[in-house]
Amino acid sequence: MKNLFLATCIIVLLVMALSCSKTPDVVIEPDKLFYQPSNFQSPVYKIQSNPVTKEGFELGKSLFYDGILSRDGTISCGECHRQDFGFTHHLHDLSHGIDNQIGLRNSSSLQNLAWEKTFGWDGGVFDLDLFAISPIENPVEMDEKTSNVLEKLRKSDKYPNMFKNAFGTTEITSERFLKALSQFLLSLISANSKYDKYTRKEAGVVFSDSELAGMELFKQKCSSCHAGELFSDGSYRNNGLPPTERQQVVYRIVDGVKKAFIEPVIDDGRMRVTELQGDKNKFKVPSLRNVEATKPYMHDGRLQTLDEVLNHYTNTVTATQNIDPILNQNGKLGIPLTATEKAQIITFLRTLTDRTFLEDKRFTPQ
Amino acid sequence: MKTNKLLSILFFLGFIMLTASCKKDDDEINSNNKNSITLSFDNRVGDKALVLTTGAYINNVSEDFTVTTLNYFISNVSFKKEDGTVVKFPNNYFLIKQSDVNSLEAILKDVPAGNYTEVSFMVGVDSTRSVSDLSQRTGVLDPASYGDDGMYWAWNSGYIFFKFEGTSSVVPTNATGKRPFQLHVGGFGGMTSKTANNLRTITLPLTNAATVRGNIAPEVHLFVDVLKIFNGTAQLKLAETNMVHSITTATPIAENYKKMFSVDHVHNDAN
Repeated sequence: MKNLFLATCIIVLLVMALSCSKTPDVVIEPDKLFYQPSNFQSPVYKIQSNPVTKEGFELGKSLFYDGILSRDGTISCGECHRQDFGFTHHLHDLSHGIDNQIGLRNSSSLQNLAWEKTFGWDGGVFDLDLFAISPIENPVEMDEKTSNVLEKLRKSDKYPNMFKNAFGTTEITSERFLKALSQFLLSLISANSKYDKYTRKEAGVVFSDSELAGMELFKQKCSSCHAGELFSDGSYRNNGLPPTERQQVVYRIVDGVKKAFIEPVIDDGRMRVTELQGDKNKFKVPSLRNVEATKPYMHDGRLQTLDEVLNHYTNTVTATQNIDPILNQNGKLGIPLTATEKAQIITFLRTLTDRTFLEDKRFTPQ
Repeated sequence: MKTNKLLSILFFLGFIMLTASCKKDDDEINSNNKNSITLSFDNRVGDKALVLTTGAYINNVSEDFTVTTLNYFISNVSFKKEDGTVVKFPNNYFLIKQSDVNSLEAILKDVPAGNYTEVSFMVGVDSTRSVSDLSQRTGVLDPASYGDDGMYWAWNSGYIFFKFEGTSSVVPTNATGKRPFQLHVGGFGGMTSKTANNLRTITLPLTNAATVRGNIAPEVHLFVDVLKIFNGTAQLKLAETNMVHSITTATPIAENYKKMFSVDHVHNDAN
């Protein structure tokens, strides 16, 4: 009897130990890493120049979540782009970088990037492959030289082999490094929200009356900018956010000693890139996919909830330089919406939440 | 009679020699022969050699300055022959860095034999290559290769064509108590919007032709006078223009440095 009890205990423990050690298998099927959802247009990215492979994806993912990209090893891409929150920096209005410095803007969500023409709130980067250099070399983000990142990767234990698996040899070049990151980013496709399934007429997917009413209102009131299946027309617009005064702490080395300085923050948006007065105060229209998960909102993260966002459009649109004409019609600023209409629009926006994407284990760090 | 005979022999000999030497000339320009032309960039401050960091200089409006960095891209080199035909080198990009003596010579290979009387080149990286796929951006065009030279604007995808940095007592102290100037010129015209285009092409005559032959690889020795950055076309003062990191404010600098280059001499040495 005693022996039987002991044996049972041992078996139970063994089973428990085995089940513990067994990590859930994440199956990666190469042809499903990048694909064109049937309700999307053709991608902008020239996918034939950098086809997504399992090995390239795994290398890109490893790089994305590795602090080795930053000067002191503390900041990875994944730091400011968290999967559960649509790859944004959850609850940070402005993103935090190296040495606890604060960036200029609220980090953008990362999804469906193959369909984007430009990148960042001001569209300063026009090729996904070139994007990573920007956060790597930004003094308040990763503050590293890309050439030095490549040196660190060459000296690491694991990366030469991962490059060999992805590209055939252990050679680590800028092109391979950046294109591997692109392969991971290209695979971040969000196209399985309730809205997508409804649009594709998938079996058993129905919209409630409120969702339908919200969709109709959205089409009338929002879709001239948040257009198409990406929920953005990719244009730059001034949506009338009231001017704010911000200051930032900047660290500089003075005669070998790090000192803090306070400087005013001026963010002219798209004008920072084009230097055209007509672009002052304009920012790229963001996609609204997974918008429920990507709070806070706006380029500076000033609005905390979707209610606040819609309240901005009804109440606080301000006629600053280059205010979008759509928000300034017949001498009236903003978009007229009743409380019920706002609630219906938010109900519709929640159908853009893609749980499959937000919880996809393939994208989660090991 | 004797003298006549002697004269006619002399004339005959002279005729033979002349035709032989003429013939020899014709033989030399054999377009099947190729050799290189080297553009040698000799960065200077007026009539002085440019010495980084320690050299002390004064511009035409009596502003003192030192130079810590002088880097620029040279591309799209072409040579014009005396008959007007042009030989182009669209795939050769050079990054000239005063800090790296090996970078100061741009070698154009396989130039067909001929007498070249004009050289032309662009300061910067043309718009086509500025937007091309990473596979086209190797060597000096690798945007991730610059380290502290930083010849690439990461936040606004584009090469910095020209970078001139140093210190001057006329520059107001910055937050770190230093008096630096940084003149950065970029801007290829924009990919998604039409923006300032600071690409400049410089064309210079070669008064002494560069005579490429099978056994002659000419060297074109260029003087590059940084003082012209201040007054090539418009007058700039370091007291007012000392921090330039944007495409529109860089345009006057690009206009000025067009005048920075001159051909001092051409070596046509046999190799």
